[in-house]
Amino acid sequence: MFKNIVFTIITIGFCIKGNAQTVSAEVKEERNIYEKIYDAPLNVAGKQQLSLHELYNEKPLLLALVFTRCSGVCNPFLLQLKENLQFRTKDNSFNVLVLSFDPRDSIKDMNLLAKKFDLENNKQWFFAVTDSITKLNQSISFNPVWDSVINQYDHDALLVGINSEGYITKKLIGIRRGHDMDLLIASVNNVFSPTYRLPSKNLLFSCFNYDPKTGKNKLGLGLIFIALPAVLTVLMLIFISYFVKHKRPEIEETS
Amino acid sequence: MESIKLRKITSVWVITVLILFIVSITLGILMRLNQGEVISQSPVTFYSNLTTHGLTMIGIWFVAGMAAVNYLMQRYIKTSYAANVIALVFTVIGVLMLWTATFIGKFHAAWTFLYPLPFKEMGAATWATLLFLASLTVLGIGWLIWSISLMTQILKKYSIAQAFAWQHFKKNPKVETPPFILISMITLIGVIACLFAAVVLLVLFYAEYFSKGNFVNDALLMKNLTYFFGHTIANEMLYLGLAVIYELFSEVSGRPKWKTTWYVALAWNFTLIFVLTAFFHHLYMDFVQPEGLQIIGQLASYLASLPAAGVTVFSVFIAVYRTKIKWSLTNLLFFIGIAGWVIGGLGAVIDSTISNNIVLHNTLWVPAHFHTYNAMGNVLFSLGFFYWFSTQFSENSKVSKFTTLTLTLLLIGGIGFLLAFYFGGADSIPRRYSIYPSDFPMAAPMATIGATFATIYLIAILIFFFNIYKRCLKILFSPS
Ligand code: HEM
Repeated sequence: MFKNIVFTIITIGFCIKGNAQTVSAEVKEERNIYEKIYDAPLNVAGKQQLSLHELYNEKPLLLALVFTRCSGVCNPFLLQLKENLQFRTKDNSFNVLVLSFDPRDSIKDMNLLAKKFDLENNKQWFFAVTDSITKLNQSISFNPVWDSVINQYDHDALLVGINSEGYITKKLIGIRRGHDMDLLIASVNNVFSPTYRLPSKNLLFSCFNYDPKTGKNKLGLGLIFIALPAVLTVLMLIFISYFVKHKRPEIEETS
Repeated sequence: MESIKLRKITSVWVITVLILFIVSITLGILMRLNQGEVISQSPVTFYSNLTTHGLTMIGIWFVAGMAAVNYLMQRYIKTSYAANVIALVFTVIGVLMLWTATFIGKFHAAWTFLYPLPFKEMGAATWATLLFLASLTVLGIGWLIWSISLMTQILKKYSIAQAFAWQHFKKNPKVETPPFILISMITLIGVIACLFAAVVLLVLFYAEYFSKGNFVNDALLMKNLTYFFGHTIANEMLYLGLAVIYELFSEVSGRPKWKTTWYVALAWNFTLIFVLTAFFHHLYMDFVQPEGLQIIGQLASYLASLPAAGVTVFSVFIAVYRTKIKWSLTNLLFFIGIAGWVIGGLGAVIDSTISNNIVLHNTLWVPAHFHTYNAMGNVLFSLGFFYWFSTQFSENSKVSKFTTLTLTLLLIGGIGFLLAFYFGGADSIPRRYSIYPSDFPMAAPMATIGATFATIYLIAILIFFFNIYKRCLKILFSPS
């Protein structure tokens, strides 16, 4: 119980912080989309040396960047990710790679982290370190900054979706809810996700209005705007023609 | 006949358009060189150049068509000189504002500035979006005044039914509507409708910009309006060029003047109705757009273009087949332009067919077909007019020795430049990429080849420009 309360407080705290930075996070999430991720050599807990491409070629990946000495967002971030995914036990269309971006972390540290989250025997999860973290960070525009006063990295909670060809399909910054995870998982599997702005009272002229009671779309005011230019033109044509009628000379008849 | 003032302003249009054309082609070549990795521009510079290139090209070839139509219309009716001057002043101011927004402010949302991109500009100055919208407003106002003025002048002489040549649907019509008037009228209606669409679009953009979040737009509505404006104006400017051809082709070829027949009237009335709904084919990928509108989009794309293309090609064919023609640079440009228009038009019809669009959507096939009917179609219609116009008042009207050279370079450069786009499209290379992904190994070499041929095309345009600008300046500075 106590654990849940603490977790909730930490999560809300980070969500509020995340919201305060919405604009920059939005922009950051757009960077590197559909670019290839750097193919870093990995040292994966419980496995031999691998290249990142061997992992994503096998199955699309969700890449989470953390460090084991983190006293901030890393733990709630991983906990939330685990909770989000545990309800999808049947969805084995992707794997999760938890990668340390701290060069001090060893494979032993990552093993301990896996154990702490009770994931060391979960086949969907990989915990790894790499000696090419700078290049990998560059390829996903991830810029952790070392703060020597608190002895911690200042960094985003970044989750990167990578499809089986190594393309970055989507990025999520911050602790995110189930729907965002759905979109991320769809994107790594190259599934098109239709999106449309939710109805709001600020949106006056939608083409269609969704009625949640009937589940149907009703025609909206916006459609009038599409017809308006043609209607105005016809009215103007008739109007001008009427007012210049008296100026019209008799046109010579063709012989 | 046409007033001296009209002559002078037309020569200003000709020189202005050609200078802006040369700058815009250079931007196009730079883009192709960047895609070919021969030079390296930042993505923001590439997309600002793409925006400047696209909008300037559409703008100048629209006004080129309007200036030509205005000039020739004086043969039938009196046109307003003031409206012509207003359009010129607004165009120059509008282009300067646009270039400031893109070159200095780094606005780079492409020529379609699709919502909400103008509000999400990374790396652009904060003022750039507003200046960009203001530049479109200035251009739109100037062009709207000009179009409405020309339409009004036609209506002073012809009733609506006569202007649309409806009397030609009956046998032995008593009054003849010249094809030039029919096509100009139909085109002006389309131009006015799409400029009204631009007005609505801009008002909605401004409303969101100034409401500080209290009002937001519907993306589907904005996309529909964007293409109502963008697609329609890009089509209508071609029809302006065709009006010029209907008026001048036979005249410069020494053949009898073309007449309006029932099938010419019918084909162009089809265009009037269907061109205003063909833009729906730009929304095939928008799942929220109702299926009915998608079907209308496909049918309207066929019905707006095929009948008009059919009668025009037929008329040109009849005019040249087994007849002795007085060939000059003017009618040669018209003739090649018609071929470019038809080939590009077929490319467009292929792309507007839903089953093909799934494959071709947003690949280089798109710039391939629209550059065909622009760079090797509509541009040549206007160049033909420019040449004809410049020779009208010169004593030395003998065929320039540069004619063959200009045409050869235009053809080699134009075809090579276009083929690089077509092969790219067939290889599924996406459009609007500043640097191509490594999955397309042929994309960069093809872009470099495209840039090389485009340079040949540019040389042809430079020769053409130096060939006629002195004559235009002479007209401009001749005593009234
Ligand atoms: C030789 C002359 C030309 C060159 C070298 C050139 C080059 C280019 C290039 C490289 C692009 C970008 C293609 C891409 O999507 O990857 C482009 C786009 C475009 N061009 Fe041209 N072009 C030329 C002539 C024209 C003409 C005559 C017109 C119109 C009348 C025109 C209108 C456009 C438009 C509207 C776009 C789309 C801009 C956008 O995507 O926002 N171009 N051109």
